[in-house]
Amino acid sequence: MTQRISKTKRFIMTNPIIQFFKYIYLSLKILVIVAGGHGGTRKNI
Amino acid sequence: MAKIVILGAGISGHVAATHLRRKLSKNHEVLVVSPNSNYQWIPSNIWVGIGRMKSEQILFPLAPLYKKKKIGFKQAKAVSFHPEGDSEVDKPYVLIEYVIGENKGNFEKVTYDYLINATGPKLAFDMTEGLIPGKNKVYSVCTYGHAEHAWQGLNKVIQQMKQGKKAKILIGTGHAKSTCQGAAFEYILNVEKELRRHKVRDKAEITWIANEYQLGDFGMDGMLLSYGNNIMKSSEMIEMVFEDRGIKWITRAGVNKIEDGVAHYETLDGEYKSENFDFAMLIPAFSGHGFKAYDKSDNDITEKLFKGFMLVDADYTPKPYEQWTVQDWPETYQNPSYKNIFAPGIAFAPPHAISKPRVSKNGTSISPAPPRTGMPSGITAKLVAENIIDIINGKKTLNHRGSLGNMGAACIASAGYGLMKGSGVSITTFPIVPDYVKYPDTQGRKLGKTFGDIGLAGHWLKLTLHYAFLYKAKMKPFWWLIPE
Repeated sequence: MTQRISKTKRFIMTNPIIQFFKYIYLSLKILVIVAGGHGGTRKNI
Repeated sequence: MAKIVILGAGISGHVAATHLRRKLSKNHEVLVVSPNSNYQWIPSNIWVGIGRMKSEQILFPLAPLYKKKKIGFKQAKAVSFHPEGDSEVDKPYVLIEYVIGENKGNFEKVTYDYLINATGPKLAFDMTEGLIPGKNKVYSVCTYGHAEHAWQGLNKVIQQMKQGKKAKILIGTGHAKSTCQGAAFEYILNVEKELRRHKVRDKAEITWIANEYQLGDFGMDGMLLSYGNNIMKSSEMIEMVFEDRGIKWITRAGVNKIEDGVAHYETLDGEYKSENFDFAMLIPAFSGHGFKAYDKSDNDITEKLFKGFMLVDADYTPKPYEQWTVQDWPETYQNPSYKNIFAPGIAFAPPHAISKPRVSKNGTSISPAPPRTGMPSGITAKLVAENIIDIINGKKTLNHRGSLGNMGAACIASAGYGLMKGSGVSITTFPIVPDYVKYPDTQGRKLGKTFGDIGLAGHWLKLTLHYAFLYKAKMKPFWWLIPE
């Protein structure tokens, strides 16, 4: 096992308060990406 | 009055049925034909496979819901397609065979005005010798039944480890052309976390095996993504996660045979190797169902409808990887020969892979097939439903389009269960199929919309999706406000 994630980053990843705000941020960001629309790619249509 | 028949009641078929029923008047008939009695939220199979959820928590019976919502339902499987009818039946129809009840084994010609083929993939375990869920110490999490067996097998190994025995665990893809690496990725991280919870992590050697050229390919040719303030390759991100958790990996491997506790595989270098295990979960290859199609005179016209999966408005001209474009990918999922047949979700034949195809020195193709995930399945099913509604209402063109080359997807991969101690790897990708012309400097993807994140919030997101999509699937109040 090699420690590739620093203690600070691990704290951020596991801290429920920080992660709560991250949850809100990620939810909105993913909603924008996924529900933000889709369409075709062909110019002649 | 129009009759719309939907084959399959998975994510794609169910989404199409629910939207059609909501938007069409009751004068129009919506009929679902599926051999399965339950709707299952497949992404949560992972948690059934580690014993943290029961099957009942991820499924519900379809018949009562469909009865309440006035959606017809026949528990049967499609046998053959007759898009011109036959000498006895003027209308196009699908021949179905009932799989349960007093009609079991009986056939019926189900006529339609519009047909949505949402039959998904066949789990082709038979394409790998010895890959049989629950046998040879190898398991699957592709269905809730498989996932239950997987947990039984894993729990047995955990109990042995608690007695002091060491164990080797192998998780990944079980065929040289498998896809769905994301599900295996989720499972390996969840298994690793569960072993720590059971305090037997030090007794286990966990190994990832896959047909990917590099870690993090996911059948999408990998991706360049933003991670915090950095830009990194998905291979680097997954390598970081695996190293941090002490997971070994074997890539560029096409598993071709399973014996009791042994996986045999071929590498891209042409070497034949094997890996021992006490417990394995390997994703099989996916294939079409082998349906046949016939014209009015009963001539075989299967090639007009199927190329493994169903033919749609894609460009199927064979061409080398360097000439692949996003324009090859379908936009309306309409069959070119029979305009009243559609195949959203997993049922359509992709024009080609997304990952660069690679062949071993022995001539074996070892590279992932395109991934088939729930989010695009739902989106494409909804747009097919909307186009059919438009046609019924008199529109002449299909205005709703959704190419995988112009659509985003979120892969919220659970990395460990637990409300306060869980973790998740959240990855979004836009577009799913890389557009190297539009985004030439970022490996075909838009960086702001292609990002990764690791942490407890990812687990909460996955849990939210679990409850939200089951709520939506049950057609509870305002279900349609939840996007696909």
